[in-house]
Amino acid sequence: MRNQMNQLELNHSSQGERGFVFSDVSCSLVDRIPCLRTIHKITRNNTKRTRIRLTQAMRLALALTFSLSFSISAQRASAPRTSVVTFEEVPAKRTGINWVHNNAHSPERHLPETVGAGCAFFDYDNDGWMDIYLVNSGSADFFTPTTRLKNALYRNNHDGTFTDVTDKAGVAGGTFGMGVAAADYDGDGWVDLYVTSYGRNILYRNNGNATFTDVTDKTGTAAPGWSTCAVWFDYDNDGKLDLFVSSFAYYDKTLNVLCSDDIKRTYYCIPRHYKPTASQLFHNDGDGTFSDVSKASGIADSPGKAFGAVATDLNNDGRIDLFVANDTVPNFLFINQGNGKFEESGLAAGVAFSASGKARSGMGVDAADYDSDGWQDLFVANIDQEFFSLYRNQKDLTFTDEPGEIGPATQFLSGWGLRFFDYDNDGNPDLFLVNGHPDDFIEMRSTRVKYREPLLLFKNTGKGFQDVSEHSGAVFTKHFSGRGMATGDFDNDGDLDVLIANNGEAPALLRNEGGSRKNWIGLHLIAMQSNPGAVGTVVSWQAGALKRRRLKTAGGSFLASHDSREILGIGAATKIDYVEIRWPSGKVDRLTNPPINRYIKVVEGSRVK
Amino acid sequence: MMASRPQTNSLSYQIPSILLNAVNIVPRNNGAPALSLKGLRCAVIEKTCLRIRMLALFFVVVITSAHAVAQVDNLVKQLEHAAALITDNRDANAEKELTSILRVAPNEPAALNLLGTIRAKQGRLPEAEKFFLRAVRGDYKYVAAHMNLAHLYMLMGQPNNTISELKKVLLLDPGNAEALERLARLLMARGAIDEGIKALEDSEQSQPLSVKLLLLLGDAYLKQGKAAKAEARFQLALDQQSEETDAVLGLAQVSLLKRDANTASQFLQRARKMVATSPDTLYRFALVALGAGLYEEANGTLLAAIRLNPNDPAYFLALGTTWIKKPDLLEAEQAFRRALHLQPDNPTAQMYLGYALLEQKKYPEARHWLEKSLQKDKSVPETFFYLGQIAQEQNDDLGAIGFFKQAIALDRSYSFAHAGLGASYLRLKNYALAQQALELSVRLNPNDAKAHYNLAVLFARLKNPERAQEHMQVVEKLKNAKPNEPAGAKPFEPR
Repeated sequence: MRNQMNQLELNHSSQGERGFVFSDVSCSLVDRIPCLRTIHKITRNNTKRTRIRLTQAMRLALALTFSLSFSISAQRASAPRTSVVTFEEVPAKRTGINWVHNNAHSPERHLPETVGAGCAFFDYDNDGWMDIYLVNSGSADFFTPTTRLKNALYRNNHDGTFTDVTDKAGVAGGTFGMGVAAADYDGDGWVDLYVTSYGRNILYRNNGNATFTDVTDKTGTAAPGWSTCAVWFDYDNDGKLDLFVSSFAYYDKTLNVLCSDDIKRTYYCIPRHYKPTASQLFHNDGDGTFSDVSKASGIADSPGKAFGAVATDLNNDGRIDLFVANDTVPNFLFINQGNGKFEESGLAAGVAFSASGKARSGMGVDAADYDSDGWQDLFVANIDQEFFSLYRNQKDLTFTDEPGEIGPATQFLSGWGLRFFDYDNDGNPDLFLVNGHPDDFIEMRSTRVKYREPLLLFKNTGKGFQDVSEHSGAVFTKHFSGRGMATGDFDNDGDLDVLIANNGEAPALLRNEGGSRKNWIGLHLIAMQSNPGAVGTVVSWQAGALKRRRLKTAGGSFLASHDSREILGIGAATKIDYVEIRWPSGKVDRLTNPPINRYIKVVEGSRVK
Repeated sequence: MMASRPQTNSLSYQIPSILLNAVNIVPRNNGAPALSLKGLRCAVIEKTCLRIRMLALFFVVVITSAHAVAQVDNLVKQLEHAAALITDNRDANAEKELTSILRVAPNEPAALNLLGTIRAKQGRLPEAEKFFLRAVRGDYKYVAAHMNLAHLYMLMGQPNNTISELKKVLLLDPGNAEALERLARLLMARGAIDEGIKALEDSEQSQPLSVKLLLLLGDAYLKQGKAAKAEARFQLALDQQSEETDAVLGLAQVSLLKRDANTASQFLQRARKMVATSPDTLYRFALVALGAGLYEEANGTLLAAIRLNPNDPAYFLALGTTWIKKPDLLEAEQAFRRALHLQPDNPTAQMYLGYALLEQKKYPEARHWLEKSLQKDKSVPETFFYLGQIAQEQNDDLGAIGFFKQAIALDRSYSFAHAGLGASYLRLKNYALAQQALELSVRLNPNDAKAHYNLAVLFARLKNPERAQEHMQVVEKLKNAKPNEPAGAKPFEPR
């Protein structure tokens, strides 16, 4: 074990150069902390969550006793577990995240004011801990801030607190920001940031020294207009991350439509009043520039009012497709033809309209194989009265809407951020929904629909989704003006936490309490030939009777970007038989009996046992 | 022993109908007013107290002033005294008086009739029946006893016997408007519209119908879709009573039946200016407003009607319908639940509740109510259609096809059922049958956007983008035109 640890430390030293093999970073000097945190958290749970800030000395001491401690924790983990997993809102005074979104609400009721904000979990400094990025409004043709508004980058201090490093990192933005997509587009081992806006977007290249450089003009990715969501994925399987940017409507302040009721109260208009625009696709040329292939790829043939977008392989042909939610016009299902072109097939697939043929107000989206049949299913959140849709893949590029319990639960809600993820590590993707009505005056017109709306959590029972919100923490009794929502394990304890960006309000950071009581393994996928985001990688794993398969998607949710690591839940099993990683390049890596309850790095093509 | 007595001079003690005369002074055919027993107090053992209180509300003792007949003078006085005692809730004393009469004249019909009334007040219905039957055996032509029997059978849940008694009354007294009205209403409520109409028409040939009966007959014609006949009766009613709101509303309903929205609107406007204090009139107004697409107004009017009478399930059914149209499915659901609370076995309310739940995607409970409705009434194609929709939503397309076919078997021109059938075939990838069913559906109902949408999906899958586009254009056109959304479509306009 000692030798192994030394080897791992050595490997870790080459981090950033993508030259090391499968490395158990959780047991290396720096990245040992995730393991320790696991142990620590169990201790904390047993002592009524008394938080202990680990000193470096304590960490080392714990590291020395790691093997013993781990076996104890594993034994605890294998004991019968009846506790409920909850989400606890961590207050700003504890996290240090004091940033508040300014939605720029105005008497003129400009529609972009209702859409933000976005948020991201990403590790900008490669320290193995999830940092947080939050997007704010800013100057626009209809808005001149009276004080300086900026986006925020919060560095994770590894102890549950964060430090605002925005200005130091040079990522304050300044545009009328919408969303964010984080990915290592240039494959240098450092995660970059793409910020979407009303106006022009910004591509921040990570310099690898805790600072970023605005390379928007150089890369040609400004995409002027009104962009909402962005997705990094490799549509042509050339190993580089391309960029899809959702475009909303043609809009500027002169096009603003003022809607009012009988007594002259103005409210935000339905987007039906605005003309659709085409979304954009940028091909990564690999030399630090991008080519706009929107027309050539066929993406531009379908003007829409695009919000959420998710990149996934819907027909299991190894090529990544795109599902795009549109507001008041049909959703798009862009099927990747493999020749640089996409075919829009939403109508034939049955995902473009409601069952009665009505275009709905699609906002948040995600994809996952929720029924474990090997095919990616889709979810789209709509506005109140329209119901949300869970589209089950019929394996022939057609889908049936089978929302089950989710249907009635969402009748009066408007959904934005949402995500399939396994919050309780039982191996099944669950579903977390963030809601909020776009119009802050909605309660004047409706008794049922509220501006601030509750969060919803649906547990995947293996037979369908069950609403467990009521039992999942006090935060589910609160109401939010929710928009963006990102998932990430910010405390590295092996379960996914949630970050919510609220419109015109402070964000909410929700810590998953108890998800890691079930066993798990975390994978940090380091692509060598495949795209740096490992988008399209299929991870399969077996732990006794539990056998699962997960395709690594990109995008999803709304205006958000997620922890790129994959946590594989194994439930009560105490060992994993194998983990198989099938990369987009075609390479397959197989890990036999890997360690549990820790993060490991897996490098594409490595010879690992 | 008493001989059969002339009706005009008889003492007549009559139980009123449950629904109509409970609190009103009702004109009698002989001109004497019926006395309200609103103030009757319970004077029996606690266990039956509630029931008797209820019954007491419905019982009226009618005393007709009669010229004294010499040979029965004492008897009449005794009977009048007994009736007065009953009116004063002094039933025990009344019973003593009547017993003393019956000791002398054991088959005296009037005494038996009064004793029956006391038993009915006491909730001892079988004993009451025996007394009333003895009364009519003693005097077959004793109309009041037959009327009391008719009321009693209603209380006992024996409407066939009620009908039989009312018919006897009309044979004995063809001009008995109350019996005629009750018979017609009862027949119509039981679905025997033709028979109800015949009863009224027969009467109409011998004498002019009262306003109330004209309205009843007009309504019956409306139910049968006979606009001209209905219009004539409502007009006659209006000629007799120019401020009769129900007649004006009836004419509005006729206009709606004739698809003459303008005239309907004019009558509705006229009705708005008239006095409408009865919940039934408000209900009728709401039905007209509902038919004219004035959902808000219908909704408000029904709420007012319900404030006046919160115990009529029909009001809640109509209210639920207005909520569906507004739309507020949760309120609709609650209204239908109230209707079912008042009338648990009402298959229409069960079906409506099932529909409201279906539209909210609360499928398990929706199915429960629709299946209950089906147990009571298998003749409604919508029930099968909604069950088919639920099966479809729950991914049971074979089951859905079965339901849609049953709906079609009941109504071959039911376009939504054909559309549902087509949608299920589409989901099952049986494109030939899907096309057949969907195309038939849009032939039957070219305004069904959902069927056109499914055809568009079908043709998109068959790689026929032109035809897919063609149908999507129809969908767009229909959505933009915002037609009155038919049953089976979601009547929502989001945001």
